[in-house]
Amino acid sequence: MSDEEDEILAAGVREALRMVIDPELGENVVDLGLIYQVSVGQDGTAHIEMTTTTRACPATGYLKDAVQSAAWIVTGIHNVEIRLTYEPPWTPEMMNADAKRRLGLVETGSNA
Amino acid sequence: MAYFAAALAFLIAAQAMMIAGYGFPTVGVEAPETLVIVHMITIGWLSLLMCGALLQFVPVLVAQPLRDESLALPALICLLVGLFCLLAGFLQLSGVIDPKIPFLALGGLFLPAGFSLIVWVLGRTLWSVRPSSLQLPARFVAGGLACVAVTAALGASFAFVLSGQAPGWADFDLRTLALPIHVTVGLGGWLGFTAIGVSYRLLPMFMLSPDSERTTGHLVLWTGAAALGLIVLAEPLEVLSGTIMLPTVLAGLLGLVATVIYGVDLVFFYRNRKRRKIELNSRSAIGAFAALYLSVLLLLALFASGTLAQHVGATVYLVAFGWLTGLGLSQLYKIVPFLTWLECYGPVMGTKPTPRVQDLVVETRDRFWFALYYVGVLAGTGALLAEVAVLFRIATAVTLFATAAIVVELVLARRLVNVAAGLRLPEGASRPRLFLPSWR
Repeated sequence: MSDEEDEILAAGVREALRMVIDPELGENVVDLGLIYQVSVGQDGTAHIEMTTTTRACPATGYLKDAVQSAAWIVTGIHNVEIRLTYEPPWTPEMMNADAKRRLGLVETGSNA
Repeated sequence: MAYFAAALAFLIAAQAMMIAGYGFPTVGVEAPETLVIVHMITIGWLSLLMCGALLQFVPVLVAQPLRDESLALPALICLLVGLFCLLAGFLQLSGVIDPKIPFLALGGLFLPAGFSLIVWVLGRTLWSVRPSSLQLPARFVAGGLACVAVTAALGASFAFVLSGQAPGWADFDLRTLALPIHVTVGLGGWLGFTAIGVSYRLLPMFMLSPDSERTTGHLVLWTGAAALGLIVLAEPLEVLSGTIMLPTVLAGLLGLVATVIYGVDLVFFYRNRKRRKIELNSRSAIGAFAALYLSVLLLLALFASGTLAQHVGATVYLVAFGWLTGLGLSQLYKIVPFLTWLECYGPVMGTKPTPRVQDLVVETRDRFWFALYYVGVLAGTGALLAEVAVLFRIATAVTLFATAAIVVELVLARRLVNVAAGLRLPEGASRPRLFLPSWR
């Protein structure tokens, strides 16, 4: 597979991960910024680096399994490797504009 | 979930008995009937709720699995058996029943046994992290666990003395020496410290407020701990210092300082939240915090007017039903749908579309029940201050109605009734049991 094909596959994996919803915030893990990195190797292995909103969140195991299952469904992905990290720790600023808007996020220090 | 179901059953039963005129204010604060109600609320409702919540919450605090998790069920059984014995013992004292079984003494055995198991499980889990690196909320919980040990030990000694099973202790004036410690350390230490610790973690988490530890939080911990320490050691300190009441007055001042600084932190969390549209559990908790500060103002006003002894019941009612119960119901409104979601949709997430946790409840409908609950508590406090027993019973009927409505909403959440039919039970998901555990 060419690098371009790998990048297309990685974009497909990111899209598939939108099916995975963080139960606490009710938004998908991609828009929340919980997926730090997605890359696909020449052998069709997806490498996903992810975090959770809270360290030791009770949903961590389910979220990892869900990310794995969602990535696995993408055509061309033969294997999924997930690395859970808390470096850097997640902050609300990591959300994309859509998630911030849906959650009604305001900048720090302002009164809501 | 079994802890929460049992806790709610005790809350509703106690409210129903209060409506029927059982206990205070129909009879005195220290009458056996009042003790029945007080312990149904403090152990049956608040302690079972707190134990159930901490069994879920402490592993999150220390990022470690719960140690000796299998002891959670025996602990619940001991607590329930112990509480039934204690209540039966109070009924014996009031002369309603007269079996030849030493119920109070049995309560004095089973309750400490149940709390010891809880302290063991939670204490061991906290201990899996170096004490110096425990986060602030975990330190509050550790303080709360120390306090429940003191409270349960004193409670057991009362139970033995009252049941006549400890004749050697009959000469001790436990009522004067130990009752203030039992009440203050139980309400302020066990229930108060743990509620404060939980709020230091949950509020920033739910509202996306800055969650770095602030000096003020540590000040609340240490001034609060010093206040409780002074209450516990008041008697020997009075003997040593030769000044009556000085340790108690100091404890009161330190407790007041802790409560005020805690208020500063609460305002900080709400004002600096990044999530503008907060959920009902965070909004409803504002009512509970308002009740806490109203009870402080009430306490000061009663103290200034010299009528504190006469109206202490109204203050305790506002603390127990306004702050602790209000906060407990608010957080249950979040915890129950969250656990239900994990149980039902966690296993299929990523393979099938799933609803959000918020889809399990209908906030626009439920905010009315929380508002009604606080109105009932305010009216009840006013009725106690005005000493109008009938009005208190009517106000309690309002709180019972609101509580029952919230419980019905929690049952509907467990039954997934509010979830759109197309998303309710995707293939592979299983309908959760009402309150018996069916996961992990």
